[in-house]
Amino acid sequence: MQQRRVIDQVETNRVLLNGQLDTPKWWLPTVIGLGIAVIIGFVIIGFMVNRGLGVTGLSRPVYWGLFITTFVFWVGISHAGIMISAILRLTQAEWRRPVTRAAELLTVFSLLTALIFPLIHAGRPWRIAYWILPYDFARGIFPNIRSPLIMDPVAISTYLTGSTLFLYVALLPDLGNLRDRTEGWQKALYTMLALGWRGNPRQWKLQTVGGILLSALMLPIFVSVHSIVSWDFAVTPAVEGWHSTIFAPYFVIGAVHSGVSAVVTMMALMRWLWKWDDFIRPEHFDALARLLIVVATAWLGFTFLELVFALYTLDAPEIALRELQIFSWPWNMMFIVFLMTGYVIPVGMWLFKSVRNNIALMFWTSLFVNIGMWLERFMIIVPGLSRRTPFVYTWDSYRPSMVEWSILVWSICWVTFLMLLFSRFFPLVPLFEQKESQVFVDKIKIGRAEVPAILREQE
Amino acid sequence: MVTQAGFGNHKWAMAVDVDKCTGCQACVLACQVENNIPLNTQDRFERNRSMAWIRVERYWEGEFPNVKARFIPIMCQHCENAPCEPVCPVFATYHNAEGLNVQVYNRCVGTRYCANGCPYIVRFFNYWEPVWPESLRNHLNPDVTIRSRGIMEKCSFCVHRIRRGVRKADSEGRALEDGEIRTACQDACPTDALVFGDLKDPNSKVSEMKKSDRYYTLLPALGTSPNVFYLAKVDEDREVAHAGAEGEHDDGH
Amino acid sequence: MTMATNSAVSGHAAGDQEHASHGQEIAGHVILAPSAVKDKLVGTTEAGATRFRKWAIILTVLAAIGLLGLVLKYLQSSDDQTKWGYTAAVAAFLLTIGGGAPLVAVAPVLAKANWVRPLTRLASAFSLVGVVTMIVMIPLVAILPPLITEGARRRSIWFESPDWTPHIFIFLAMGTLLMAGLGLFYTTALPDFAAMRDHSTGRRQRWGKMLARGWVGTTVQWRTLRMRIGMFGTFYFLMLIYVHFLFTSDFAMGVVPGWRDAIFPMYHAMSSIQGGIAVTIIAAWAGRRYLGLEDYLRLDQFWSLGRLLFASSLLWIYFFFSAFIVFWYGRSMADIAWVDLFIRGPMIWAFIPAMFMSFLVPWWWLIWNRIRTSVNGPAIGAAIVLIGLLLDRIRIYVSSWAVPPDEIHDKYLKHIPGTVWPDVFDYMIIVGSIGASALIVMLAFRLVPIVSIWQTQEYQLLSKPVKYIRGHGVLVAKPD
Repeated sequence: MQQRRVIDQVETNRVLLNGQLDTPKWWLPTVIGLGIAVIIGFVIIGFMVNRGLGVTGLSRPVYWGLFITTFVFWVGISHAGIMISAILRLTQAEWRRPVTRAAELLTVFSLLTALIFPLIHAGRPWRIAYWILPYDFARGIFPNIRSPLIMDPVAISTYLTGSTLFLYVALLPDLGNLRDRTEGWQKALYTMLALGWRGNPRQWKLQTVGGILLSALMLPIFVSVHSIVSWDFAVTPAVEGWHSTIFAPYFVIGAVHSGVSAVVTMMALMRWLWKWDDFIRPEHFDALARLLIVVATAWLGFTFLELVFALYTLDAPEIALRELQIFSWPWNMMFIVFLMTGYVIPVGMWLFKSVRNNIALMFWTSLFVNIGMWLERFMIIVPGLSRRTPFVYTWDSYRPSMVEWSILVWSICWVTFLMLLFSRFFPLVPLFEQKESQVFVDKIKIGRAEVPAILREQE
Repeated sequence: MVTQAGFGNHKWAMAVDVDKCTGCQACVLACQVENNIPLNTQDRFERNRSMAWIRVERYWEGEFPNVKARFIPIMCQHCENAPCEPVCPVFATYHNAEGLNVQVYNRCVGTRYCANGCPYIVRFFNYWEPVWPESLRNHLNPDVTIRSRGIMEKCSFCVHRIRRGVRKADSEGRALEDGEIRTACQDACPTDALVFGDLKDPNSKVSEMKKSDRYYTLLPALGTSPNVFYLAKVDEDREVAHAGAEGEHDDGH
Repeated sequence: MTMATNSAVSGHAAGDQEHASHGQEIAGHVILAPSAVKDKLVGTTEAGATRFRKWAIILTVLAAIGLLGLVLKYLQSSDDQTKWGYTAAVAAFLLTIGGGAPLVAVAPVLAKANWVRPLTRLASAFSLVGVVTMIVMIPLVAILPPLITEGARRRSIWFESPDWTPHIFIFLAMGTLLMAGLGLFYTTALPDFAAMRDHSTGRRQRWGKMLARGWVGTTVQWRTLRMRIGMFGTFYFLMLIYVHFLFTSDFAMGVVPGWRDAIFPMYHAMSSIQGGIAVTIIAAWAGRRYLGLEDYLRLDQFWSLGRLLFASSLLWIYFFFSAFIVFWYGRSMADIAWVDLFIRGPMIWAFIPAMFMSFLVPWWWLIWNRIRTSVNGPAIGAAIVLIGLLLDRIRIYVSSWAVPPDEIHDKYLKHIPGTVWPDVFDYMIIVGSIGASALIVMLAFRLVPIVSIWQTQEYQLLSKPVKYIRGHGVLVAKPD
């Protein structure tokens, strides 16, 4: 808090709108490069759909592999937005302000990406229309709403709709701001999108109420989305390591862990790329790292409980699975990497204040977390399947093919591409939140000391 | 829903007398031919993508000089409480009124969720479009649909034979006789280890066999209540007849 | 605007509770003079002596009845595990509320919330209930079968440990939890003991002098105090999770064959937080009502607690449902047995009201802003939640303990036991242990003020009312 500099509104506008009004030089080449990667990715997906899933490394009984892992991973990342903007908004944490927009954006784009994976992982993607889109009334055959795979798209699309609305409501004041500062087609675009925003008290009130209502309504959805994803696995008693009651909260807390870490990664990038040093400050990293220590430790506790109660039954197949997962090659290597990058290294480092305030270290540690969290999902999904013991004569494990790896890489490029594209047209740091926080921040004199203080409205 | 005459008056089941099974694999071959299952080439085996609606699992029991081979044929168990059914988003697999676990190829979109739910691992996914050598084209069974790529398939209890048999009996205006409908694997079995029939007929051979004290089902702890049941191996060295597959196979991996 | 600290009320005697004293109130923000705070709060330890004596006698009698019930029950049925379900439920209930309440004093403090300041003392005092819990646990530990029975090892979290590990560890863990709770309680009370030493007379002054241990409020002492609060708080939280983990896996899951439920310890801990919040609300309500603390335990506290209670009720159903859906959908024999035993089984009479009172009623009661922003609204919700929790514990533990011990080695539960109704000893134990818990908490507040003096004064320093646009606001300092 101490390093805060008073920034007037003109400077705030100038610096935070540089993405739109004064696009940095690196932007165009980066977007073109990513665009090419994205197109290559789409070609690979097209190839796979055209030729069939034979081009993947999937087999029997490992029917689900890298695609489902990546699906869970992106759904997990999407939990950043609501965690940061809704929960911290309801608990009135001041430091959330500069990162809310980026977090919500990450939610929307990672959900869009996540939705693609179950689609392309299906044997006949073109038939998916059968089960989500037009309900087949004519034949009296409805989708099976008991299936978690129906609950999944319902939950995710609800979450996507809510997040998009949430993002849009929070974007309105800034759109009005942009409308007043642009010319030509851009002005026309922003005029249309700003919905007549003038910033009069009534509009502000509606905007605030809308934000709070959406935050509160999104919370149950936030929890339900990853819970339902986890039940894809947990309701299956036939797979050792899947049928665990802890999965829902375990997945949710893991999602928060990976999502908030992804936000930290993004914050570091934003600070570096757009030079927003005055707005995204070490204190924000510090606060997020403290939050992450708590979340990560809770998540580790859940991991431990999951493991203990898997072994609890003393069933031979369950113990064999854990032996595979933890002690046998190559899973043991992955397990170590997962534990190190998912918890030990980052949290161990975050315990030190100097690390929490060091942007570069925070960037790398938060990146580590997401490597670990991806591995965690992989290690939950695949060993359970490859160790389907009693009646299989194929015990070989699963090795993802090049097609699968490139689609994973594609998804990362795709999300980055969308974010960068967004940053060209809309501010990544909410201007009005920034200005509001300047109003709310004050100092209070206690004895001889001046202590930073925050203004709270009296209800 | 299209209703057929007499539909739902049967409860199809299969008894597998493990004592009689010699592990000759004739059933596997017969099934392959009958149901137009693509050829299991070397490549498919190496990628663990081979298909066999019925398979004979072999276990070794005992230490070297006193070693015994055990065989157990495994096909879709047509569970009454099937874990594969509720998870399918499109009802491509469902339970019909005759106790069959039915796979509707046209509806299947290939999420492979049913295969994850199946504890017996008897569901197969078509990773590629099925192809046969030119010489085999005319040998395909016209009664059975060829499954395209991207969908699941599994043992159907030779549902085309069941339908043909029922229709024939209906058209002749008589009741279906026990043993009139035979599955392909049953036809091929040299020792009559496989017996197919109707559990609703109290005098059928399967109903008789179900009363045997060698009766057990696979993985009873999962509560799937299969329509395929097994009659235990008779072995003077071993007391266990009722232990069920659980005790027998939990350590067999 | 200036800090209007000088205009505070003067001249109300300690212990005087006939007319509630009011500080200067500006738009809902009360300014209290430091001396008035001290006098008023130190006075609460002696307030209402007659009423206190009456209640103390009643509760002591109840506690005696409970103890008698426990002894008689042990003499009568020490060899029959199936009869001890209600005792286990009571122990779980006490652990739930007594263990959970101090968390209200820990978590918001670590998150630097200000509304919790007047509640920390109240909440952390409930760690004393641990004494009663441990007494109730004695026969239970004696009756819990060893890990190896009939020559086979039963399922437990103690994979290869000696026979009696769970029996020993639960006591060690509960004792450590009690110590951590007492440590928290005592540490946070140090400056207040000093206040009693300086502002009280007679016996209380002597206690204050003894317990304050030379507290004069130097910078070093304050720094140590804050560090200790952080340490005890974190340790207490971890210990509480551990105790719930041990208790649930050994005293519930361990006695039912085939029950494997990884979320259950967290479910238990979650409802412990819920119960802790509820019991804090009840205690704050009583403190406000009977000790005249309207200026200290204010609407803000009830509102915030009401919100937390609402949130924790939603979390309760989430954790419950996480387990339920997996069992209900899984349909393996063990899954079906769980649903048959705990949901539609012998204790359905407890399950349905528990579901209503732990979730449905608090949900639809506390969802209204009007109700949360009142004193009685959250209190009623809290009372309902507490009853619901007791019923929920009865549902779980009575069903679990009703399983005959000779079935423990089965792969899954094959015979669902019948309903077990409480006998007269069970009633005695329930009433007595709850009475004893209330008594022990009440006694604590004769020793130390029910609202923390120093935390109240600190907030007075850190906040000041300001004008904000056309309304009012409070400026709250955030020292690092």
